[in-house]
Formats: sequence, structure tokens, C-alpha cells
Amino acid sequence: MPAKKVTLKILLLLIISDILETAIHFFFKKGALSEAALHVGDLSAAAIFLKGVFLSPFLWAGLFIVALVFVIWTTVLSKIDLSVAVPIASFSYIMVPLVSMFFLDEKISALRWIGILLILSGVILVSLSSKERLCRDK
Amino acid sequence: MKDGLLITLSMIALTSMCDTVNQLFLKSAIDSLGFPLKANIAGIFNFIFRLLAKPRVWLSFVFSVVSLCIWLLVLGRADLNFAFSADSMHYIFIAFASRFILKEKFTGLRWLGTGLIVAGIVFISLN
Repeated sequence: MPAKKVTLKILLLLIISDILETAIHFFFKKGALSEAALHVGDLSAAAIFLKGVFLSPFLWAGLFIVALVFVIWTTVLSKIDLSVAVPIASFSYIMVPLVSMFFLDEKISALRWIGILLILSGVILVSLSSKERLCRDK
Repeated sequence: MKDGLLITLSMIALTSMCDTVNQLFLKSAIDSLGFPLKANIAGIFNFIFRLLAKPRVWLSFVFSVVSLCIWLLVLGRADLNFAFSADSMHYIFIAFASRFILKEKFTGLRWLGTGLIVAGIVFISLN
């Protein structure tokens, strides 16, 4: 088994896959919004809704990025634990508000800053927990 | 309206569970390959090629598609903030599945970190 340490390279890969993941959400939401007027009440309406969504070019742009993320994610998972990779991937929750603050001049509320700090400390702890384990295994 | 909320929450739980199953199959397929991935383009594609020969990976794709379809339905009916905040239960599912199904070793630090992330996501979406 390979070493399970979170290296800088893995961290970078996770951040790239996070950025792409954000793009996927954006495209998917766009694809869903174009059909949002439709009310999804029963199963047949749901099928019509999904059909509309799948005809949206936004969805296909999103799916292309999904394939890209799959390659990166496979690389990451071959190196570290699932229970480390998934929490670190929560970085996008921090990046989206920060990007909107710096590039879109949006204000970040106190509540949101608390959330960002909580996630950040959580990500650091989870990353450290995999190093701790490596030391113990040695 | 309350009824609709319950349905949305159940759908989010379902999509989270499907994604957890998807991740479990993918991770276990990668682990079962049992050889290291070489970090160059040829190495990565060689690795993925072998991975695609594992039926488990295709199972993971199926769950991923189901999860995506449900997620799209959720986005069609719920506010994005709410959907994301409720989706933080995903991290709890992943933690327990990794611990008890994949038998990954958890330290107190990892539980604490995962808990903080879940709390943080709820805070971010409270706005």
C-alpha cells in the first residue's frame, strides 16, 4: 500500500478538482433552472423534467467536467483514505464565498465567516489525522 | 408546504446515500487493483484502463448517475443554500461508511475534523 500522507501534490489535485466541482454545480444548476418553471409533482413529470435537463448544453458541459474530475479523483483516492479525501474536498465551501468576495465584491456575513473558519479548521484536523496515522504505522 | 420539505429532505438523503455507495465502490475498486498509480499521463491512463475492467467501477457509475438525477430534481425544487446545507449529511455518511465498511482507521482528530466541517457547512448555508 502506498503512503497515505496528504502531500502538497494531492492537496493541489484536490483543490483543482474542487474548482472543477464548483463549475459542475454551476452548469447543473443552470441546466436545472432552464426547466425550473415546470412543477415536478409525479413520476412522469419528473421524467419530462429530466429529459429537458439532459437536452440542455449546460448539462453536457457539466458532464465533460465530471469525466475530468473522475480522472483526478481516481488519482487522489489511489493515494489516500476516502475519509480524508472527501472532507478535504469540502474546501469548495470556503472557496466559493471567498471568490465571490474578491471578484464579485460580495459581502460575507459574520455567520458565514464562522462557517468558513469551522470548515477550515476541520479540513486541517482531518489532514493532520492522516499524517498522525503515518507516523504511528512507521 | 411542510410535506414538500420532507420530500426534499428525503431526496437529499437519498442522493447523499447513493453518492456514498458510489464512492465506496470506487475506492474499494482502486484499493483492489493493488498497484501504485504512476504520476504521469501514461501511468494515469493505464491505471484508469485497468480500473474500468472492474465491474465494481461500473456499479459506482450507476449509483453516481442515480445520485445525479435525484440531485437535479432537488435543485429543480429547492433553494441552493438549503440543498447544500442539508447535503452536509453526506460527510457523516462517508465517515461512517469509511470507518465501518472500508475499515479505515479513525483517530479522534478525524472525527473532530469531520464534525467541524459539517457544522461549518450548516453555518455557511444559514444565511
